[in-house]
Parts: sequence; C-alpha cells; structure tokens
Amino acid sequence: MTRRLGIAGAVLLVALIIASDWIFGGAPNPYRAPDPIAWGSSSGASGAICTFAPPTPGQ
Amino acid sequence: MIVRIGLIAMCAAALAVTAGVRYALTACLGIAIGFTLERFGFGFAGPWRRLIRERQGQGVLAQCVAIGLTAIVIQPLIASSSSLLGAIAPISLTMILGAFVFGFAMQLILGCGSGTLVNAGSGNLIALVALPAFCVGSFLGTLILPAAMASTPHVAISLPETLGVPQSLLVTLLGLVALAWWATRGQGGDRWNRPLLIAALCIAALASLHVLIAGQPWGVVYGLGLWAAKMAMGLGWEPSAAAFWVHPINAQALSNSVLTDTTSLTDFGLIFGAALAAWKGAGKTPLTPMVRWWLYGAIVLAGLALGVSSRLAFGCNVGALFSGIASGSVHGWVWLVAAFVGSVGGVRVRDWLWQRVTQTEAA
Repeated sequence: MTRRLGIAGAVLLVALIIASDWIFGGAPNPYRAPDPIAWGSSSGASGAICTFAPPTPGQ
Repeated sequence: MIVRIGLIAMCAAALAVTAGVRYALTACLGIAIGFTLERFGFGFAGPWRRLIRERQGQGVLAQCVAIGLTAIVIQPLIASSSSLLGAIAPISLTMILGAFVFGFAMQLILGCGSGTLVNAGSGNLIALVALPAFCVGSFLGTLILPAAMASTPHVAISLPETLGVPQSLLVTLLGLVALAWWATRGQGGDRWNRPLLIAALCIAALASLHVLIAGQPWGVVYGLGLWAAKMAMGLGWEPSAAAFWVHPINAQALSNSVLTDTTSLTDFGLIFGAALAAWKGAGKTPLTPMVRWWLYGAIVLAGLALGVSSRLAFGCNVGALFSGIASGSVHGWVWLVAAFVGSVGGVRVRDWLWQRVTQTEAA
C-alpha cells in the first residue's frame, strides 16, 4: 500500500463532505452568487472567518 | 499531470456554474496554495521545529517574507475598501492559552492548520487520522468560546485603525525583520533558502489575491468547525442553543452550502492542491509509517486539542498568525509568542514519544 491510497482517502473525505451537505443541506443557489471579486463590490466579505469573535453581553 | 489539471479545471467550471464565479476562484486559490505548500515544502510546524532543535531559521525567515509582503498589499487595500475585511481578533487570557496549546499540539503531529490539510492531501496517514478529530475539536471550541469570552476581558487591537496604515505597516515590517533576525542569528551557512523564498513569494501573491477575491484573509479552522457542526446537525444537534451559531453570520454559513463558504473552499483546495503535487512521488512511498497503535490515540487527542485551541485562539497559524499579523492585528503577534512557547514543549514531548516507539520496536 502506497501513499496514493491515503491521497484517495483524503479526496474521498472531501467528496463525502460535499455530497452529504448537498443531499441533506441543499444545493447552492447560483442566482444568489456574489460578484466575482469582492474588491469594489457591494457584496463584500461573508465575515465567516477564523478571527470571528461573537459579541458577548457587556463587552 | 495534464489530466489532473483538466479534471480540476472542470470541477472549478462546475462550481462557477452551480455556486458562483467567486467561489470557483476561491477554490482555485486554495488549490494553488496547497500545491505551493506541498511542492516547495513551505510550512509552519516544521520550520519552528527546526528552529527549536537545530537553530535553523531559514523556514521562519521565509514565513516572515511571506507575511511581510502580504501585509504591504492587504493593509492599504483593506483600509481603502469597505467591502474587504481584515483578520482582526481580540487578545485575552483564554486566547493566549489556546495559542499555547495549539503550538504544543501541532508539534505532536507535525501539522498546523494548513499543514494537517496539506499532509492529509499528500496521503500522510497521521494527518488523515488527526483531521476528523481536528474538525470535531474546532466544533467543540465553538461551543466553549462564548463562555470563554464572557469569563475574561477580550480586547481587539487593530494597528491600521489605531496608528494609521503607514505606521501600522512600519511596525509590522519592523517586527518581522526583528523576528527574522532572531530566528537566523548565529546560524551557520546560507540564511536564504531559494525554494522557500520562491514559495514565500507565491504564498504572498495568493494570500493577497484571496483578500481581493473573497474579501477576507486566508483562514483554515472556521471551515473545519463548520463541517463538524453540519454533521452534528445531521445527528440531531440543535444550533439554536449555541450562542456562537445563532449569530447571523454563522447561522447563514450553517444553512448555506459548504461550497459557498470561503474557508471551506480554500480548505478543500489545500487538500486537492497537495494531492496534485504529491501524486507522482506517492506511488513510491509506503502508506503506513512505522508507529505503534497507541500513538494514533495520541494523534486523535492532539487533533482534538488543535481544534478546540484554535477556536479559543481565534485562528491557527494561518488565520491568526499569517493573516492576523498581515492584517495588522496585535493578536497575531501575541498568538506567535504563545504558540512558539507551546511548540518548545511540544517538540520535547514528540521526541520523547518517538523515542518510546523506537524502544518498543527494538524490544
């Protein structure tokens, strides 16, 4: 067994995540797609980012 | 190679049609980043390990070059456009603790946020075992984060907003020069490693393009937590009870397709890009490294720790360190110090664990 099996496993994992999300969560809607580039666009960043800090009461 | 590139181009075209052009471009950026990281051996955990064990700072120097070049491009861009967002996060005790634990755990599996994805994409069994645990840990971290934020003061400091962009850039670049000097001081031989510098230039260009296209800096762990949250929903978990996930931004990410989430797309891209770069050589490398079964238990625990700690620390080596420092967030610098101290301990524990494995096998 070579690492190609591991690569296939990783690609399969991604495919499983996308497929299960598509089946149980729904397909993306291309008619709600933002502009191709965020820079200078009215549809900017989503804000779903690693540094996101949910506001807490009193802060 | 041409067949594989053709397949990826077809997938990108399909994504552009089914979700949108921005998402296809973001995924392509992720693929290019993953390919660059794997092909040139550019990373974060490995260079820190070499600096701690061998006092070789070439990898850290390359990191500084990449972050500095990205900062020069993105800080003025973000300041001049309301549609772009910087990676600015708060500093707190729990954030420092999270970064420390992340630095420790990433040395155990020799994989940080981007490193785990790239290693998994290149067929590394340890990363493939750690990745699901990393996702679960990141999700658990989202459940803990609101309580952590309520328990200690969290203060966000953005250098561009506090000092202005020119002064912020000066402080950022001076800090990176000082870090590069410290990492390479007293080092024998050449300080500059040509392949790593080429990789640094590529990563800086791709990270800057990421801000222009996606509107926000490159990140990793948000996507991992999102995947686990979606899986948990499928198993009956109710997100309305979780303060993190009721916020409109996160609730929207949870209800939308993963194919429209920026960090998920770059994460998928990292895996595909690394797979593309590693496929040829992977045919000659055995899948299973020579490790004992109990070591995989330690790898799962380290993966969980990576996930939880990266959420408490508002990012990993990419979202917090790379994008945070490049955006002018002071939290990126604090993350760097805390994670490096954790890495010093992590390197020692990893050496001890591997020594035990060798002794067990010799017996």
